[in-house]
Amino acid sequence: MKQNKLTIAGKALSSRFFLGTGRYPNPFVQNEAIKASGAEVLTFAIRRVNLGAPNEDAILQHLEGMSFTYLPNTSGAKTAEEAIRIARLAKASGLSDWIKVEISVDEKTLLPDPIETLKATEVLAKEGFVVLPYTSDDPVLCKRLEEAGASAVMPGGAPIGTGLGILNPYNLGLIIEQANVPIIVDAGLGSAMDVVQAMELGADGVLMNTPVAKAKDPVKMAHAMKQAIEAGRLSYEAGRIQKKKYATASSGLASFVSK
Amino acid sequence: MRLLINGEEHNIDASTLEEVVSHFELEPHLVVTEIDGSIIERSNWSVTKLHDGMRIELVQFVGGG
Repeated sequence: MKQNKLTIAGKALSSRFFLGTGRYPNPFVQNEAIKASGAEVLTFAIRRVNLGAPNEDAILQHLEGMSFTYLPNTSGAKTAEEAIRIARLAKASGLSDWIKVEISVDEKTLLPDPIETLKATEVLAKEGFVVLPYTSDDPVLCKRLEEAGASAVMPGGAPIGTGLGILNPYNLGLIIEQANVPIIVDAGLGSAMDVVQAMELGADGVLMNTPVAKAKDPVKMAHAMKQAIEAGRLSYEAGRIQKKKYATASSGLASFVSK
Repeated sequence: MRLLINGEEHNIDASTLEEVVSHFELEPHLVVTEIDGSIIERSNWSVTKLHDGMRIELVQFVGGG
């Protein structure tokens, strides 16, 4: 069945699943989960090399020979300035000019700082980055990020790693309805149900890490999420029925068998 | 040479950035470097002279969401 492809900054993607690379039990499970997910876009963080054990965290060594679109994030940044610095470092790797702007101050909620996020998005978009800001699910802010040059906007469903699902479907619906760039639901999803909900609301894709990496069986969950994305997207494209208060019989009664 | 690398003081025998990277046995294509806040492109590692007290950052991609 033909499905419309997601295109970001002119790049047509083979999957609507953006997968994080943190917190898996081990590199083997991670690679199997990546394969099962079918994801083309993988996210990463940028950190100092641990000089005592330099190859311990070097994640890319486990992915050599496979082809992905790398989406490094600016996690750890508390200000636009820090995020911009991390973005430039990520680009200097020569691996990608895509950047997920992620700026959080509150360690308890890790909610994105909207003002710093907007600032960083503006600067980085002007510098030629493909900017995908992780943002709160505020329709006005999401529009402002688009106007600032974001190539896609990534509102959170709930705080990172909580698995609470989509706390404000009304807002997310508005964000999607008014957007002229792809909307990727990033953070807070817990299970396939949340993914289907996001996709049925019309999201262009979802970004997940913890719900896959910390599932009892990450590989199986990656597969479940992949299918949920496909089911939700197909359902959205197919167009669901209107909800009604009372029943409608599936078969009319005109030729009902009576005595 | 006394260098501040990733926030720690190191005394190593290196006069260029390339030598610092190989001193720690890092995979050059996986590492990004900064000296005193400025990114140094990989192609300039061998010609970037080091001085005592320089602040060097060696960073890489790690797992993240």
